[in-house]
Amino acid sequence: MEAILQLIGRLHPLVVHLPIGFIMAALLLQWYDRKNKEWSNIIGVLFQWAFVFATIACISGYLLYKGEGYSFETVKIHLWMGIFTAIFSLLMYLRLATSPKIIFIRRVPVVLFSFSLLFLISFTGHLGGNITHGSDYLIEPLPNNIKSLLGVGPEVYEMPTLEEENWEAAILYSDLVQPILNNRCVSCHNAKKEKGELRLEEANGILKGGEDGLVIEPNEPEKSSLYARMILPLDHEDHMPPKDKDQPSKEELDIIKIWIANGNPFDKSIGEMGLKKESVQAFFPKAKDDTYPDVEVAEIPQDTIASLKKKGFHVERISKESNFIKISCINKPSFSDQDFDLLSSVKDQVVYLDLGGTRITEAIFEKISTLPHLTILKLDNTAVSGENIETLEKLGYLKNLNLMGTNFEEVHLQKLKRFKKLQIVYLFNTPIKRPDHVDGPKEGELFIDYGGYDLPKIATDSIVY
Amino acid sequence: MNSLDRLIKEKLQREIQAKTRRHFIKDCVAGMGGLALGSFFMSCNSFLGNRDTAKIALTERDINPLASMAPPFPAKVKSVIYLHMAGAPSQLEMFDYKPTLQKLNNQACPQSLLEGKKFAFIRGTPKLLGPQAEFKQHGESGNWVSNFLPHFSKVVDEVAFLKAVNTDQFNHGPAQLFMHTGSPRLGRPSIGSWVTYGLGSENQNLPGFVVLTSGGKTPDAGKSVWGSGFLPSVYQGVQCRSKGDPVLYIDDPKGITRNLKKSTIDAINNINKKEFDEYSDPEILARINQYEMAYRMQTAVPEVMNINNEPEHIKEMYGVRPGKESFANNCLLARKLVEDGVRFVQLFDWGWDSHGTGHDTAVDLGLRNKCTEIDRPMSALLLDLKQRGLLDETLVVWGGEFGRTPMQENREGQEMAYKGRDHHGDAFTMWMAGGGIKKGASWGLTDEIGFSALEGQVSVHDVHATMLHLLGFDHEQFTFDFQGRPFRLTDVEGHVIHEILA
Repeated sequence: MEAILQLIGRLHPLVVHLPIGFIMAALLLQWYDRKNKEWSNIIGVLFQWAFVFATIACISGYLLYKGEGYSFETVKIHLWMGIFTAIFSLLMYLRLATSPKIIFIRRVPVVLFSFSLLFLISFTGHLGGNITHGSDYLIEPLPNNIKSLLGVGPEVYEMPTLEEENWEAAILYSDLVQPILNNRCVSCHNAKKEKGELRLEEANGILKGGEDGLVIEPNEPEKSSLYARMILPLDHEDHMPPKDKDQPSKEELDIIKIWIANGNPFDKSIGEMGLKKESVQAFFPKAKDDTYPDVEVAEIPQDTIASLKKKGFHVERISKESNFIKISCINKPSFSDQDFDLLSSVKDQVVYLDLGGTRITEAIFEKISTLPHLTILKLDNTAVSGENIETLEKLGYLKNLNLMGTNFEEVHLQKLKRFKKLQIVYLFNTPIKRPDHVDGPKEGELFIDYGGYDLPKIATDSIVY
Repeated sequence: MNSLDRLIKEKLQREIQAKTRRHFIKDCVAGMGGLALGSFFMSCNSFLGNRDTAKIALTERDINPLASMAPPFPAKVKSVIYLHMAGAPSQLEMFDYKPTLQKLNNQACPQSLLEGKKFAFIRGTPKLLGPQAEFKQHGESGNWVSNFLPHFSKVVDEVAFLKAVNTDQFNHGPAQLFMHTGSPRLGRPSIGSWVTYGLGSENQNLPGFVVLTSGGKTPDAGKSVWGSGFLPSVYQGVQCRSKGDPVLYIDDPKGITRNLKKSTIDAINNINKKEFDEYSDPEILARINQYEMAYRMQTAVPEVMNINNEPEHIKEMYGVRPGKESFANNCLLARKLVEDGVRFVQLFDWGWDSHGTGHDTAVDLGLRNKCTEIDRPMSALLLDLKQRGLLDETLVVWGGEFGRTPMQENREGQEMAYKGRDHHGDAFTMWMAGGGIKKGASWGLTDEIGFSALEGQVSVHDVHATMLHLLGFDHEQFTFDFQGRPFRLTDVEGHVIHEILA
């Protein structure tokens, strides 16, 4: 009997469409017949059947709610609206019947019933859809900008994070496991919805399990359906979360596995459980790349880039997520000071400029100093001497300056020391002699790499064993 | 009248005779083929569908498959030099210092270590073999390096060690494929191909992925270790030779001058251009581009592959032997190539398979000679890149396809005259240096005899994930669709090894 009731319940999505069809057809006929009023009898019959099927739909709906573990809160309005639809269909039938026995019904205008039914049928149907597919089902496929216009911006999924300083003190359950469950499972397994009679929003629910029993087998993640069903193939019918929902990442699954494998403690910290940093590595906030300035610049139009490329420059954005560009003359050794003006349209965006091996002279410094965000500058293997190099002091972000193989002279070296952010200067193969003693690079200080490294000959070089 | 009838009859006869059975079949074939072809035209974006050339949005990549592209994320390095020691160098004589192994020298290996393990040659119960080199801590990092590598021990602070790399392959071919393509079976693209496919090449006159070999042989796994697998073949490695012509058949044939060559290529390209105007097939543009690049390479490649113009002190630092095929020459070439904007330079040095079957493969003799061969060049490479400001934006990777056993090899269960070690993939040493790498770091710890990992075990996939990370890729997002599914270099595995990143 139980099975049959459940079956009838599951037929609800099918059965509901019958009253919808009848009511819509009847309302349309009413519209066409609004002048002549000749079809009242037929329309009445349609509402009669609408009432019959609406009643069946209400019953099957009730059975579905009982059988599938929806909470009453969730289905309440839908259920009541369904019942109202059935009642209004009946009233409409009585109103249209040839000789209405009940007097007061005759006084109510038919139009009122019609609009009520139209409203009921649309709203009930919508609520029903929300219950089966989730309330964001309809707007989900819309582009994000339209969504934000409607005030239902995309849900930004936030992965729980740990802090570099005190990650060992973080409680594995409350700082990682529960947030993961909240993100991935709780939208269906909560006090309201309780699918499969399972609640995952807090410890008691997790321990209590669902209609198929416990979801955690302590220390045995593979036997715990909480974990085991999440690692089933996506196509498997028992796979959780359902395949059209966002899936947990591999790192998140690993955390659930580790938690169960360690006896699913609710109050132990990561340190107390003796977990290594590598197992929670994915949850540390990603270090921001600080190579280039943290400044927003405008995107360069594609045709500007194309025309620079045509002129022989190697131009590339530093990454697909940044508007900064890198320019190199690797394919344009004929580059000379005048050619710099070709770059004037992209001044703000250049952070990496490689003029190595070109025909530039000291006059280039003045021009380069107009690139506000320049961070890495390569002038290696050119004829520049360092005259006027002080104009580059303006470049507030310049970190890395390559003067290898140039005619750079010692007198200009002092000027470089005044540059604010400059970290390293390469002076290999210049007229400058390497001092006898060079200290290693220090944090926050300019390091001058004189190069000229050597590997002295040693006795073992020539021994053949 | 009669004669006219006869004429008409004759004409009909002729027509019938002209149509032989062969013609009939030929017509059918053309018709059937035409039918099939028609559906192809409609299905892909080729000519019939899109006659109007102006409407086709060609990407740069359609015209030049090696056009450079921005990485998805900010990259730490733009080029890679991968030094692969084919045959698997013994970590126990070079980097992984195990004093306990010395104490246990010549004792029988406990059975517990051998259970469930597969060895290529060890049979029965082998004896443990202590390190055949002397170890010392070097540099500020205090990392251990043996006396087999006296020069490298001076630059040890530049590199980060991975002391517990793990592979599941114990034979050279599959292990080399795994190390270079992410799969022990044939058919996957090599790392260099992935990188060139993802980033293209900066220098228009040179290939993006260059391979240099030394040691007398190419790797056991063959050219597939630099193959392009299912990626377009334009991304495969270009093997350059360090003696003779760097690329075979790059010279103009006898009697053909450079100008004649140029006009030939121009003529072919003009025909191709007409062909493109008619059919708008981007493949034709790619072909035109390839011809032009080959022409430019004719001068650019011999130029970059010529080490004779380097100053004497640089040649001495690397210990090059011009005209010979040597690892030192290849290291110097690697620097020159990277300096000229080549994306991926892959070096293979053969001769590291120290089984102890003879003098050359003994871990105390032949291995020491191999170490001497690479010691100066690879140390010089790091220093030379550094003084040119290139080490900041280049990643140097060193390693073999697996490591070697702490046990002495006993081929066929017999004691052997020379000391050798068998293949062992559970825990071996690799190192990386360059942009984004934590200088002087060491990650991973092996047990007291160097047999298995105790901590910080990393897989080959992890190494690949880390390399891609430094080049600005998320290894999980960097895919190529093939046979109905997206493929990754790291397949379904791999974690970035943050412990060795700066």
